[in-house]
Amino acid sequence: MSVFMDLNLIYTGDRTGLRTLLETAAHLGFSTVAINYVFEPTSKKKQEIPTPTPINELIDHLPVVQGRSRPIRVLNRLTVVMSDSSHFRPNATEYRSFDLLAVQPTTEKLFHAACMLYDVDIICISVSEKLPFFFKRAPVNGAADRGVVFEVSYSAAIRDSTLRRYTIANAINLMESCKGRNVILSSAAEKALELRGPYDVTNLGLLFGLSDGDAKEAVCSTCRSVLLHAETRKTASGIIYTMRSCSDSAGQEGAPGDPEHGDPPAAKRHKLVLTQ
Amino acid sequence: MKPADQKDESPVYQRVVLKNASPYHYMKVCLVLENESTRLSAVELKQFIITGLKSLYGEVGAALNFDVLKYDADTLTAFLRVYSRGLVKLWSSLTLLGSYQNQACAFRVLQVSPFLLALTGNSRELQLD
Repeated sequence: MSVFMDLNLIYTGDRTGLRTLLETAAHLGFSTVAINYVFEPTSKKKQEIPTPTPINELIDHLPVVQGRSRPIRVLNRLTVVMSDSSHFRPNATEYRSFDLLAVQPTTEKLFHAACMLYDVDIICISVSEKLPFFFKRAPVNGAADRGVVFEVSYSAAIRDSTLRRYTIANAINLMESCKGRNVILSSAAEKALELRGPYDVTNLGLLFGLSDGDAKEAVCSTCRSVLLHAETRKTASGIIYTMRSCSDSAGQEGAPGDPEHGDPPAAKRHKLVLTQ
Repeated sequence: MKPADQKDESPVYQRVVLKNASPYHYMKVCLVLENESTRLSAVELKQFIITGLKSLYGEVGAALNFDVLKYDADTLTAFLRVYSRGLVKLWSSLTLLGSYQNQACAFRVLQVSPFLLALTGNSRELQLD
């Protein structure tokens, strides 16, 4: 069935605001949301990538999604706003604590590199400026083949009329190049009143030039494919997944047999392969 | 047993597909404001929606005919009726409306249907005791 997701809720330091935001999202029917930490490195001084606060510190009791019996699922996401190719370091260890990884390129070269090379899940299309470059078919199709999706955020269109024009213009440009596939729509909401329900967002997709089916997919099934892509990013080709085991004795089982305890050293130990 | 010369009457099924069965679409919307004690009258609500249509679609959009059939001033819930051609325009302008008199607001669209009878029941608000 259709599971609606909103993968862009901006993290502000305000805990109560975030709590009302999550409650509103659950009330509107979103089953999964992602809290977005935006990181904008400037070349002047070295900044640290923010670490996400664990979800149980932010909110004790996750609200139940309206219409379902499960509580809302909250993930962590990092967006790196890139104006230079050194801003995004592939395979950096800080990226591991985030579930989703997104990049927002500001120049054409970076956009091309992000589509074809970088190991990210989402490429954000900026809404606060008229894009200085046009989308070419080659990198867009290359990104679609790799499973990377493009994201359009709509809350800027709610706040300001100039941003509204830029959002719609950039979104229509994108839809023409990508033919409506591999797009997700999300709010970049900071307050609960900037969120809109899933069918409202589907209707906005029609405004941006998507067809009916593509607009609904932009809110449910493409988002789900992003989550799966993010999970495979952490694994070896999506097949083997290692997990740190909680107890110490369980951790010893992977080690080779200790001759003092009389374990047979000749046979290879069965490696624990945990699949989720 | 039936005589051999009598033909069997096979049941005839006919499928009727109604396209654009209803000329109107009905929406149940609720306005959520930042300051919860603000009250609007029905006329003010209609004027507010027309301003939203005008800012998104211009004069042509503001000329779209829609009606406020019923309005509850305490909960700020309204039933709107619009021609089916204009549904996408009205719905998208309700979605993108952000501020009422300098306070943040949001239109929550609760139900949309081409038939008014369908708006009487809402399984999401069903209370099971």
